[in-house]
Amino acid sequence: MSDKQIIIKSLERVERRIRTNRFLKELALGATLFLAFPLALKLWDLFDPLRASTIAIIAGIWVLLFAAYVVSRGLRKATLNQAAASIDKVAALKDEIKTAVWFIHNPRPSAWVDAQIRRAATTAKQIDVDMFLPRQVPKTLYVAAILVLLFVGLNFVPLPWNHNWLALQAAPAFNLTAEEAAILKQTEALLRKAEKLKPELAEKIEEIVKQLQEGKIDAGQAAQMLEALQNQLDEGNLDAASLREGLEEMAKDLAQSDKLESTAEAMKNKDLNLAADELRKLAEKLGLNSPDANKQMQKSLQQAAENPRLGLEELAKLLKEAAESLKDEDQEGAQQALDEAAQELDNLQDKMQTQDLKNLAAQQLQNLQQSLRQRQQAGAQQGRKGQQGQQGQSAKGQKGQRGQQQNSDEANGQQAGGAGEGEPSDQLGQNDQPGGALPGSSQGNGLMPSGNSGADAPREGAPTSLDVKLKQEKVKGVEDEGTKEENIEEVSKQERSRLDYRNVKSELSPAQKDLLNQDRIPWEYRPLIKNYFQAIRPPAKK
Amino acid sequence: MSTAIDQQVLTFQEQFRRVKDEVSKVIVGYGEIIDGVIMSLLASGHVLLEGVPGLGKTKLVSTLSDVMHLKFSRIQFTPDLMPADITGTNMIHEDAAGEKFLEFQPGPIFSNILLADEVNRATPKTQSALLEAMEEHSVTVGKNTHKLDAPFFVLATQNPLEMEGTYPLPEAQLDRFFLKLKVEFPTVESLHTIMNRTTKVQEPKVNRVLGQGEVLEMRKTVRAVPIARPVQDYAIRITLATHPNPPYAHSLTMKYVRYGSSPRGSQALVIGGKIRALLNNRLHVSSEDIRAVAYGALRHRILLNFEGEAERIDTDTIIKGILEGTPGPS
Repeated sequence: MSDKQIIIKSLERVERRIRTNRFLKELALGATLFLAFPLALKLWDLFDPLRASTIAIIAGIWVLLFAAYVVSRGLRKATLNQAAASIDKVAALKDEIKTAVWFIHNPRPSAWVDAQIRRAATTAKQIDVDMFLPRQVPKTLYVAAILVLLFVGLNFVPLPWNHNWLALQAAPAFNLTAEEAAILKQTEALLRKAEKLKPELAEKIEEIVKQLQEGKIDAGQAAQMLEALQNQLDEGNLDAASLREGLEEMAKDLAQSDKLESTAEAMKNKDLNLAADELRKLAEKLGLNSPDANKQMQKSLQQAAENPRLGLEELAKLLKEAAESLKDEDQEGAQQALDEAAQELDNLQDKMQTQDLKNLAAQQLQNLQQSLRQRQQAGAQQGRKGQQGQQGQSAKGQKGQRGQQQNSDEANGQQAGGAGEGEPSDQLGQNDQPGGALPGSSQGNGLMPSGNSGADAPREGAPTSLDVKLKQEKVKGVEDEGTKEENIEEVSKQERSRLDYRNVKSELSPAQKDLLNQDRIPWEYRPLIKNYFQAIRPPAKK
Repeated sequence: MSTAIDQQVLTFQEQFRRVKDEVSKVIVGYGEIIDGVIMSLLASGHVLLEGVPGLGKTKLVSTLSDVMHLKFSRIQFTPDLMPADITGTNMIHEDAAGEKFLEFQPGPIFSNILLADEVNRATPKTQSALLEAMEEHSVTVGKNTHKLDAPFFVLATQNPLEMEGTYPLPEAQLDRFFLKLKVEFPTVESLHTIMNRTTKVQEPKVNRVLGQGEVLEMRKTVRAVPIARPVQDYAIRITLATHPNPPYAHSLTMKYVRYGSSPRGSQALVIGGKIRALLNNRLHVSSEDIRAVAYGALRHRILLNFEGEAERIDTDTIIKGILEGTPGPS
């Protein structure tokens, strides 16, 4: 190997070491600077959680920039002259190698130059790269490592609002409040309990919430979907109140028989399983009863089976069969009918329990919908704030006018509403007159603020009104002299309002609501009742 | 070949050391001054020694001439000294037949080593008599030019300009000095040694250790030392930095300097660097060599402006700033 080759080879080693050390140094420095950014972002995330898409975009850009930095640093090579200068400096060679390299690249026919190169080669041979240019772990690398640890640590800070980016967690597009989450959990639990009827509803709710959190749907859409689910849940609802009343009526009838008293008591107490057990016991001991007792029992059963409420037809039928069997002294038939009635009571108990769960779940769903809609409206209002700020004075002017209008509404309401203040009217929406449309006006109908027309008046949405217009239909009464044909409104049909409920949160408990919502006249019977009263209407005088 | 060069270098170092050792027998505590003087001799340059009277400047020069087999002469510069007193003059002679003719009578300048003692006590006109001799190594008297023997080496001493009865040397002449060495007052320890050597019955004697041929051979050796372009470039950048013009000008230069060094300054840096490299057993000039000779080579070549003079700026301060501000060879 010639002297020149020795020098070049030695310098190549030096260059590699310089490059490695420099790369490590620059990498550590770069990493420190680059890591400061995600760390700051993570700190920000702790106070204002970032969405996954935001994090993904920022992380992507960060990775690209860092990769570009690393590649650019990695591709940088030192020249042999630089390597020579470095080794001259660190080994105190007083420009010997640098001079030799220059003469290698700029050869000249001189014995002195050759001698200089030879000496430099000898020196280069003795250069211990590890001694003069040891592999250095830059201090900034420790700083970078600390930053990494800090970043990892921040991801695992046990705060309920912290999202672990390392586990690919981020703030969802929509955050359920703690209250909403509790409602959701409760609803799902209720639905799972009532799984026999609606096994897929809990999964559907989960799916809706997931879509909401991922930002695929907004709060309004989620509320609509939950409403659809609620409708599904409402399908085939039992009229629990009617059933209970029916059972009480039956219990009252059954209580007339001594033998059936315990069963009636259990039914009265709405413990249908106990009632079923009592009925079974009675069926077993049927043969031991005296004929009078059986007769009394038959009468009670017969009476209880009459006019059954909706949903109790099967029970009434079985009680009737039992009564008839007893009447026919068919003990076996009576026992069988009583057993089946007991089974029906068990079924009814299950159905009612399930219905209760469904009602509760539906109530929770409704609460969740209301909460979501409220938040959507709040978001929309926030979005409009900027525009309102621009509109400024004109908006205030309109507000004042609206306040005046409210005052006049209030006056009208007081005039027309009178004693009905605070109670929603059935005529709401059918009457366009101010007093009729807003009975009791803004003081008690919950739709309008209580007359504050100034700037401090609370923000309110547009008052709701029903667009339903019932068709007029001719009443077909008994034609008689003096009978005048009269048009009345058709029977109201059960259908869901096309308007969103106003987001007023009820302070009532689900049980209280259930009580208040009891309708003593089921929808199915309304046409019948209407027809009945039309039939008995006294003829109008001509 | 390499062995021969190594031998040549060793010989150079040995001869240099012998001269220095001999001079050091008489001169105490001026190691760097002695080095500078010998370097100037080997660089084919001249040296200007500046210091207050009584510091042994003349003794140094006379001792140096004593250790070499070279012709030595001395001129004591005084205000009434005339150029002809230095160069010599044509004198009328009469031959045996009674015919008169002009014959050149060489002055003291015709020697190998010329001691121009207290050179700044003569008028500038007389001082200028040295100009041609120092650069061209020749003397022109009348119509005739007379070559001086090689080596020709002027060792001038001068008192600081602040002293009474002194004339500043012309810039052109200053530039011809290879190095300007400042002779500082000796230390207490050195003074003790001086006392011990000079107050006894027998003063130290020196031996002649170097002849004319050896000096010339050493000069050749110096010139043979290679210098890489980056190092030479460094020397040039330093020289250019003494000029108050961009792009190399240093901030101190721009503020205090009227004229910077001539190319002779760069030559002095490079040749001085070569000698230093040889003395350090190196076959190449390093940037450190350049820096080491920069003060001696440049301090008399930098002319201060009014502001610099007014603020009594030392040119060494400017050179220090330049050396600190000029990046090394890349």
